[in-house]
Amino acid sequence: MTAVPAGLLFLTGAGTGLIGALLGLGGGVFLVPILTLVLDVPIRAAIAASLISVIATASASATVNLNRGLVNMRLGLVLEVATSVGGLAGGIAAAHLTHRQLFLTFAATLGVMGTLMAARSGRRNVLPHSSTEDPGRLGGHLREGSTLYMYRVKRLPAGLLASLVAGAISGLLGVGGGIVKVPALNTFCGIPIRVAAATSTFMIGVTAAASAFIYFSRGDVVLPMTAAVCLGALPASLLGARLSERVHARSLKMLMAVVLFVVGARMALAGL
Amino acid sequence: MSDAPPPLREGPTALDRTIEVVLTAGLLASGGMLVAGLASGRAAFLKWGILILMATPVARVVVVTLGLLRERDWLFAAVSLWILAVLASSVYFASGR
Repeated sequence: MTAVPAGLLFLTGAGTGLIGALLGLGGGVFLVPILTLVLDVPIRAAIAASLISVIATASASATVNLNRGLVNMRLGLVLEVATSVGGLAGGIAAAHLTHRQLFLTFAATLGVMGTLMAARSGRRNVLPHSSTEDPGRLGGHLREGSTLYMYRVKRLPAGLLASLVAGAISGLLGVGGGIVKVPALNTFCGIPIRVAAATSTFMIGVTAAASAFIYFSRGDVVLPMTAAVCLGALPASLLGARLSERVHARSLKMLMAVVLFVVGARMALAGL
Repeated sequence: MSDAPPPLREGPTALDRTIEVVLTAGLLASGGMLVAGLASGRAAFLKWGILILMATPVARVVVVTLGLLRERDWLFAAVSLWILAVLASSVYFASGR
């Protein structure tokens, strides 16, 4: 592997951590393409570094989101059952897929999710709160400005399926899977985007950990490179998570849709 | 879990706070190790910094499980135990290579 300067890795980790935390993702969806396409890091080492950096970003964002009461922990737990199994399976399966197959799967997933997100960006998923309404075991409340909203969790099986897919993609490609879960939870399950992002981020640490140990034991984790990326990601994701409150839900969705298309196109080009 | 109407839950709960502390402690310990490792060039520090980082979400699940057991929320405690079992099998699979 060509030696990439530690300062450049630190900045890369900081940039992807900032944007990842801002969008409620782990940031791996940007880190893997940058490490492989721009910095020429071999894909296995990039995936391993990304998985570990995603743990740093997701854990740092989770501290901020927990403090705001945005994390729906019980929903997160139920969905983690699926993401952790998917993550474990993806981590084990990763050794058996070609790079080309990985790149193209990645690109296709991003394209589908970007379309969903863009198409649904104008919809609201929350109802103004009234005391007679029961959000159910898994639903919750969300305050936006002076209004308190209530949401129920719809189509839980769809959320579980998306989480399983997200976990498997996480284990295969070194991303946290937020890029799959956040749009799916918002679109199919009716979770407000901020709660979807915060709950997804809360789950990502566990999802990534389920496969990170496997990558570590395979010797794919390049220690100095991973350390530099993580050290950049840590402070930047704390900043990103704090700033994310100032971004409007609609622009958050549009920004995510754009990001999905751009990254998807780059990954498709790399796979063809 | 009760038959009473659901309380209007807003803002962080006590368990949210505890998890926040666990995550912050894990990140600080890991970050300190990684800085020491990069500065000194000693791979052992880097290795431990990364292992602590990977263990932080696992510690979080342990804390959530204990918190749910304390709240006597058996269903969700069982869900949390299942996640711990998946993580444990990942470590077992990894260590068996």
